[in-house]
Amino acid sequence: MNIETQQTQNTHFGFSTVELGEKQALVNNVFHKVAMRYDVMNDLMSFGLHRIWKNTLVSMLRPSKTREFKHLDVAGGTGDVAFRILDAGGSKTHVSILDVNGDMLNVGRERAGSKYGNRIDFIEANAESLPLPDNSYDAYTIAFGIRNVPRIDTALEEAYRVIKRGGQLMVLEFTPVDTPVLDKIYDAFSFTAIPAMGKMITGDGEPYRYLVESIRRFPRPEAFARMIGTAGFKCVNYRALSGGIVNIHSGWKL
Amino acid sequence: MNSEITFERNRGIDPKLLELIVCPLTKATLEYDAVRGELISRAAKLAYPIRDGIPIMLVDEARKLEG
Repeated sequence: MNIETQQTQNTHFGFSTVELGEKQALVNNVFHKVAMRYDVMNDLMSFGLHRIWKNTLVSMLRPSKTREFKHLDVAGGTGDVAFRILDAGGSKTHVSILDVNGDMLNVGRERAGSKYGNRIDFIEANAESLPLPDNSYDAYTIAFGIRNVPRIDTALEEAYRVIKRGGQLMVLEFTPVDTPVLDKIYDAFSFTAIPAMGKMITGDGEPYRYLVESIRRFPRPEAFARMIGTAGFKCVNYRALSGGIVNIHSGWKL
Repeated sequence: MNSEITFERNRGIDPKLLELIVCPLTKATLEYDAVRGELISRAAKLAYPIRDGIPIMLVDEARKLEG
């Protein structure tokens, strides 16, 4: 690839620079490989903390138990966040799970079984071009998904478009760590232990090397908050969890 | 057309979902082809497949329509 002429079209795939069009295919490949063991790996990689983070996300969202609440969970194929929202809400809570990866959606649908009836549906689509009408959802969540989107600003604009006035965006994502000592420990863990565990559990270490690298590439919390504001959201805020390993960003469409 | 195949293709798809989704490119409403199990975007000239009850709203996965 000629980097000089392609510069404006390039994005990051972990630490490698790749063409924008190519990133989605590479990311898909990562998740096809790990879909089945995804939740086991999440537990190992985060020492079970991802459950607490997702619970916190849902408790901040506070879906209504009585009124209609239409929710969109993006990149949530396996249903982890969606099921929590449905459990926290009421009979008028409805969640659309949207993921670019069909394998993840199949895992989610299998896990859901018939428990939630028609309060849940599954859509295979891209966060950058949502197949959904303007102003159609009360809230939008994306947990550990936004850093895998090639054009984050486009995804945020799309989120803004489909959320109703008075609706909320919430993003749960890893934070690049910036304490020097913690940094080294985190690096050692993430660049050696996580790919090794990934290989053990899913038979392939490469997807997890990507996951770790992509975390380091993601914008810092204040920069990401600015991106959310640029997309049109108001009252943008963020809250660090577990000593700043992850952040929950939120914004309102007013 | 074998009706069992049609049923299998559209397994569990919520009619409300079919009403809701729009073309990811043009954001225009879609026509539902129950026989083929596809969602047709006239404006984009694309037919999006429905597999195992999940609409695949990706341009790369869509069938191009003639004309």
